[in-house]
Amino acid sequence: MSEKIHILCVEDEPDVLDVIVRELSVLEDVFPVESAASSDEAREVLADIEAEGGSVGVIFCDHIMPGENGVEFLVSLRKTEQYRDTRKVLLTGQAGLDATVKAVNEAGLAHYIAKPWDADELVLVAREQLSRYVAARKLNPLPYLKHLVMDLVGDTLRDSLKSDR
Amino acid sequence: MATTRKFQVGFFSKKSMGLVLGLGALLVMPFLSLPDLSPAGHVALGIFVMASVFWILEPIPIYATSMGVILAQVLLLSDQNLIKPWWDAQYEGGYQPPAYTDFYNTLANPIIILFLGGFSLAAAAEKYALDRNLTRIMLKPFGQRPANVALGVMMVTGVLSAFMSNTATTAMMMTVAIPIVARVPVDDPFRRLVALSIPVGANIGGIATPIGTPPNAVALAALARQGTLVPFSTWMLLATPLVVVTLLLSWWGMCRMFPPGIRTFTLTIDSKFQRSSKAICCYLIFALTVGLWVTEKLHGIPSGVVAFIPVVLLPALGVLDKKEIRGFSWEVLWLVAGGISLGLSLRQTGLAEWMISRVSWENFSTTGLVVLFGLVGFAVANLVSHTVSATILVPIAIALVLPQAGGDTAALIIPIAIIGIIVSYSMILPISTPPNAIALSTGLIETRDLAKAGWLVGILGFVFTVLFGLLLWPLLL
Repeated sequence: MSEKIHILCVEDEPDVLDVIVRELSVLEDVFPVESAASSDEAREVLADIEAEGGSVGVIFCDHIMPGENGVEFLVSLRKTEQYRDTRKVLLTGQAGLDATVKAVNEAGLAHYIAKPWDADELVLVAREQLSRYVAARKLNPLPYLKHLVMDLVGDTLRDSLKSDR
Repeated sequence: MATTRKFQVGFFSKKSMGLVLGLGALLVMPFLSLPDLSPAGHVALGIFVMASVFWILEPIPIYATSMGVILAQVLLLSDQNLIKPWWDAQYEGGYQPPAYTDFYNTLANPIIILFLGGFSLAAAAEKYALDRNLTRIMLKPFGQRPANVALGVMMVTGVLSAFMSNTATTAMMMTVAIPIVARVPVDDPFRRLVALSIPVGANIGGIATPIGTPPNAVALAALARQGTLVPFSTWMLLATPLVVVTLLLSWWGMCRMFPPGIRTFTLTIDSKFQRSSKAICCYLIFALTVGLWVTEKLHGIPSGVVAFIPVVLLPALGVLDKKEIRGFSWEVLWLVAGGISLGLSLRQTGLAEWMISRVSWENFSTTGLVVLFGLVGFAVANLVSHTVSATILVPIAIALVLPQAGGDTAALIIPIAIIGIIVSYSMILPISTPPNAIALSTGLIETRDLAKAGWLVGILGFVFTVLFGLLLWPLLL
């Protein structure tokens, strides 16, 4: 069985979180979409996913949240071995320059989506980042191919199954 | 996802069953006393049954089984065997085992070297995007009518997969075509037509040259073992007309099954021929090698000798480096070598003749034989690896046709080539070939679309291979 790659959305406002999850649900037949209202809850979700042997391909994270803010959370993930390859996307209207710089330099931020965003844009960013995740991990792209961006996984696809049988 | 899971659960029970049956056969066979079969034949039969069960049920990867076959032969049947007391008890005058190096040597069989040459060319072509650029150039004349674009995709895929692996060609073509095809409206059958034309082109195109796909190697190696060396150009002369006809008819049929809705379609490929000196070396060596292969009859240098030129030149000139050499599909070479090695023992121990003597084949004409083996090969190859299907069937078939052929090489080549080729037309199920699996994974087609195209290709392939083989090939050989 191929590894389950999850999408994790972290956002403290329930209405906004709902919208994100709904918009990303078009990918759910391949990539299960998980949600969390805070970084603490996000860590619980991550632990559950790990316990099931799954991984997280991309995290969409709000910046301003009660408790630990989004950028701090992403920086802490970057320092954890199993989430180093996980693609980190900041989805916010409120991150100032300092926070953004920190996110890029210390959390390895992959993408920045400013609020308000467009549903198609969100899905495309998710597909691109998941493709880069699959390529970075050198996973066999076949089980996920339906939602991946071909140009980004072409080489990985060829390398992982180049031979006839 | 649900279907994948079900398959996985079934796979586990299949796995343990395969292990028990395979190892059981290996242990039990030597202690049976089958009439007219030599003791060594019993051991070889045990290895043959174990290998077949392992290849079909896959408790371990198919290439690991092939390597295991060589190990089993060295440990049980060779002059370095570990069961000497047992052999002494079996044979009064002492067992005359073959040298263990005979089995290891199959890893350097000229057919294996031929494939190695193909791998090095393919790696260089991929590295310098020669495959993409050739695709761009070759697609141009097909214009913008959707049906013609599909024909172009099929033909180009076919040409490339004649020299590269079917799987790598499919992966490359999918990368090129899918993002553009995905813009076509979802309900337009043209999406499915293109997504299917790639695996169809790849599977059929692989037939065209000896290096196109491993089953060809299995057939050629079996013929070589009988002293019948088939030149590269002769194989192409036989296979290419067949490939062209079946590709065209498959395209025609698929256009009826999936009639394009849109009026025009432009497949743009964004790439340029690279001009670096290494890239140019790559083009020249590619052209030189293929040129020498197809003119084998003129200069007489065997294709297995020519194949070692790119293996040496490409790294020597820095066109390929260590990384790419490590990236060759070495497991395919082992897969084929294991089959060749098994064929050695089948013949040497008299097992092949013994198997055939169990059935009264006098009632079968060559046509009957070819049809029977073709049907079995087609059925099996849809379910298990094409190479494995050919590996199990070809040694038996060759022992059968050998007495009928007498000294006539054409009468030996034709039935074996037919059987080796028919397996490549097996592509009904997603598991039949890796190109099928790739096509299905794009989400553009469903399993039943694949089955429809697969049946069409299979029937066309079977009928035309037998027709060409029996009617046209005798005139060409």
